[in-house]
Amino acid sequence: MSGDSAKQVTFKVQRYDPEKDSAPHFQEFTVPTSRGMTVLDGLLYIKENLESSLTFRSSCRMSICGSCAMFINNYPRLACHTQIEELQADRLTIQPLPNLPIIKDLVPDLNPMFSNHKAIKPYLIRHDTAEMESPGAEYAQLPEELNDYLQFSYCVKCGICVAACPTSASDTLFLGPQALAQCYHYCADSRDEGEAERFPLVDTDHGVWHCHFAGACSEACPKGLDPALAIQLLKRRLTSQALRLRKKQQPSPLVLPPTESKPEIAYPEFSAGEGT
Amino acid sequence: MMKQAQPRQNYLGPAGWVWAGKYKLERYLYLLHRVTGLGLILFVLVHLIMTTVFRIQGQDIWEATMALLHNPWFKIGEYLVVVAFSLHALNGLRLIIQELGFALGKPTPPIYPYQDALRKKRPGTIVMVAVIIILAAAFLFDFLQGGW
Amino acid sequence: MRRTYLWFFQLVTGALIAVLLGIHIVVQHFDAILVFFGVDAAQSTSWAAMTARASQGIWVFIYIALLAVGLYHGINGLRNIILEVTRSTRAERAVTWAMIVIGIIFFAGGTYVPVALLTG
Repeated sequence: MSGDSAKQVTFKVQRYDPEKDSAPHFQEFTVPTSRGMTVLDGLLYIKENLESSLTFRSSCRMSICGSCAMFINNYPRLACHTQIEELQADRLTIQPLPNLPIIKDLVPDLNPMFSNHKAIKPYLIRHDTAEMESPGAEYAQLPEELNDYLQFSYCVKCGICVAACPTSASDTLFLGPQALAQCYHYCADSRDEGEAERFPLVDTDHGVWHCHFAGACSEACPKGLDPALAIQLLKRRLTSQALRLRKKQQPSPLVLPPTESKPEIAYPEFSAGEGT
Repeated sequence: MMKQAQPRQNYLGPAGWVWAGKYKLERYLYLLHRVTGLGLILFVLVHLIMTTVFRIQGQDIWEATMALLHNPWFKIGEYLVVVAFSLHALNGLRLIIQELGFALGKPTPPIYPYQDALRKKRPGTIVMVAVIIILAAAFLFDFLQGGW
Repeated sequence: MRRTYLWFFQLVTGALIAVLLGIHIVVQHFDAILVFFGVDAAQSTSWAAMTARASQGIWVFIYIALLAVGLYHGINGLRNIILEVTRSTRAERAVTWAMIVIGIIFFAGGTYVPVALLTG
């Protein structure tokens, strides 16, 4: 056991039970913390020892699944990735993510974000529908083409960018930085031919043009995705398409599997007893 | 039998434009751009009424209006309009370049500690804010020189 | 692609305003700074100076150009802000029409006066 005594930190957690409460309220807990403890560890301590009805989402506890996104000390973070010591405070205020509905306590309803994500067709679209339905070959892609969109493929759908966005705060029909960044991710993929289908979905009154580049989404993203960059690059594509400056890009070609079988190589003759 | 409760709405609303957390420079430049824009459009509409309705009625009405407007409060308002214009114009030029995707750098695979494009270009943005502050000081000098 | 054009025009008019409004402010309001440049533009809002400008075609052109780009930029911007808080399509359409009407009224009034002063 370490010699230093555990530091007592107050967790001020927003509680809301839809069956009992009419409005959210705060409840305070005192948690003994030690070096290396994350906010998620603190919440689990509260649930195990102090208040078993505290409800929150968590899964991987290593900031790869995105379940534990919360508003901690006025900033949206992943609870498993935030060390209590890093916040340098004796009181932590923990609330669910803003701009998303609350189901209970710290659990946000992510369905609005998911339905926006589905709306922008987050899958590769090729004109050759027969090949899409029953694929028989690979697509060739250069490493440079991969780097054009790789950064935006790391999205874990945690909802932090939506919570940070000022437009998402007031515009309930706004697609949100997550959906718009993923739209760019699929359009920028050289294997994709679906730009013509996706552009009308984002060129709407509540689409990409309501992004005003506040940059809060990129600042808060826990995976370093930079959704703001993706959205500005999407605006660039839309503008050059509208001004007819866009060169027609050839999508990635198919690489058919080899049809000839490999030549037979004679099995070498090993004579017994010739050393090892 | 448990009734499926509707999730509680948690939107910040327009208050979320002003404050939604401890974010950095560009989020507040967005807010200032919006505030100055609204202030400027309001001023423009009033200014248009003054310079058309009151102008066309002849010299006497015009000079009476000008005498009314030489009130120090209106001079302060004029100064605020000019500062708002410099902020909105310079930030707008930055937005024209950046919202078209230029001067932001290419996508890079994220390696911790993450540096998003705005953070990499923040020195340039700070220079722009410094220029705005210098212009505001220069205009203040001009207004004080012009007298009340 | 209609909204893309609208937004792109917002950028173009923004850049034009930066130029035209810069000229407008410097010539008509910055008496002291202009003195440094050797231009004595004292009392640029006096009646004499204004009637002089009103009879010059170039100033009328600048005023009308500034009016057009300024109204487009401002009213489209205002429309975008209001659309971020409206929720129904009916309200959106009402807002758009209201903005167009306001724009037409101010453009008509703002063009009539300098042209009338130039010709009348």
